[in-house]
Amino acid sequence: MIDPVKEQSSQPALIQAHKVNKVFPNGCHALKDVSLDVQPGEVVVIIGPSGSGKSTFLRTLNQLESITSGRILLDQVDLTDKRTNINKVREEVGMVFQAFNLFPHKTALGNVMLAPMKVLKQTKPEARKTATDLLNRVGLADRMGNYPTRLSGGQQQRVAIARSLAMKPKVLLFDEPTSALDPEMVGEVLDVMKELAREGMTMVVVTHEMGFAREVADRVVFMEEGELVLEESPERFFHSDHPRLQRFLGQVL
Amino acid sequence: MQTQSSRWLGHGLYLVIMAILVSGVYFAGQKINYSWHWERLWPYIINTESQDIVAITDGTAVVDKAGRLSVLPDYGDDPQLVKVYDTLVARDGDLIFQGDTIARIEGWRFGPIAEGLWVTIKISFISLIFAVLLGVMFGLMRVAHGQVWRNLAMTYVEVIRGTPLLVQIFIVYFFVGTVFDLDRFTSGVAALSIFTGAYVAEIVRAGIQSVSAGQMEAARSLGMNYVQAMAYVIMPQAIKRTLPPLAGQFINLIKDSSLVSVISITDLTKAGREVVSGSFAPFEVWFTVAVLYLVVTGGLSLLIQCLEKRLSVSD
Repeated sequence: MIDPVKEQSSQPALIQAHKVNKVFPNGCHALKDVSLDVQPGEVVVIIGPSGSGKSTFLRTLNQLESITSGRILLDQVDLTDKRTNINKVREEVGMVFQAFNLFPHKTALGNVMLAPMKVLKQTKPEARKTATDLLNRVGLADRMGNYPTRLSGGQQQRVAIARSLAMKPKVLLFDEPTSALDPEMVGEVLDVMKELAREGMTMVVVTHEMGFAREVADRVVFMEEGELVLEESPERFFHSDHPRLQRFLGQVL
Repeated sequence: MQTQSSRWLGHGLYLVIMAILVSGVYFAGQKINYSWHWERLWPYIINTESQDIVAITDGTAVVDKAGRLSVLPDYGDDPQLVKVYDTLVARDGDLIFQGDTIARIEGWRFGPIAEGLWVTIKISFISLIFAVLLGVMFGLMRVAHGQVWRNLAMTYVEVIRGTPLLVQIFIVYFFVGTVFDLDRFTSGVAALSIFTGAYVAEIVRAGIQSVSAGQMEAARSLGMNYVQAMAYVIMPQAIKRTLPPLAGQFINLIKDSSLVSVISITDLTKAGREVVSGSFAPFEVWFTVAVLYLVVTGGLSLLIQCLEKRLSVSD
């Protein structure tokens, strides 16, 4: 197997996306030759206008979205290979959604326990222990028995993060995790994410929170019209005079 | 918001309107040239009259010292022994002809209407179970990824929904029943389950599709496979949403079961028809039959409401 991705560090990248193209059945060319490496422990923030393909790209990383051409390696496993067991890969790639997507028929605790019990075949006490610890960690010790409808948006998103963490993933993907939240709840979710970043979790985050990008990201990526336009460290990124980035930042800031 | 007093006023008005309607029906019943005999109906529901025990052959009655009655036949057969009876009609040594009443037994038994009701409940319940199995299976096929499955399920639903149940019952009984040598009860159950299954399949499909796509994505991104995601995430939510339309469909099933009387299954409707010709009380019989159907459907609807309430804890 020839590895087409150039190695920049001694450690192999956890995610290696190489010339990823995505054409939707309606002809929309959503991703154009997008290449990105994510090192273990790194936090990569993707920003860009809506319709720039940033969410689509994120979703290709756990194959919720198939790709038309290119390659994606996750911990050396080729996602586009027909023989790859995609369910196995997804156990190791957590995803947090904009709309939380908690299971409404389960309590907070039940949401976190479900996948470890059914997929990892943990026993109920085992799963309960992990779930309790995780919900404690995201500050929801007193909300474990609540159904999602009885939780605020911020609490729901924190349960969703705990639910992803219960599978002990190698990477966490965040798809605009704070966009559906009331402004006063954004902080509590970002705090949990910052905590995770500090603990060395590898994260790819699509967001509009420039403050988070500046503070937490190891690298910031700017996408527009399906292309990866710019990839820089936060300091260089926010001082870049790239005209397309300038235009975008002018609109949001 | 409705105030307390306006709600009570509404209830009162409803009672007045109902009273007018009911008395209208009552006086209409009195006005027509029809003598009402509700009491004639009882024996057809629960029969408390003593039952005759009749001789099965010609012969001589023998009553031994212990009081056991037997009929010694004229020609060589084994004697007819009557072990349980309450009053003797024949005496020792009487000449008996076939069909004579030789003894009576007290007690009660179900009349034809009660037996018909039992058949209706039985056929509806068995059909309901098979209809749910068929419906869930074809409903899942309707949303499956494979085009073959979708086409097959679509064909089933369209063919069954597009033809009358009465015709299906005839086809199942006369054609399928002949091919597979089915009795009429099995044919009736088969026709009803296949018919109702098509509607349940559509309800299940709608229920599954009403669960947001994000639920499937969340389940799959946690590493669950398609079957696990369906079983633990999608279906529990879909079932809750499908309960109200399913209740309606099950009530339809109970009512549709009256059509199996055309293949000579003595359900409630056919029992009613038979009792009418025996009792000469058609109005009373059909009112009774209607009320009995209402009791069965009402009971089912109550049961499903309880289930709905129990499942709504997470709302």
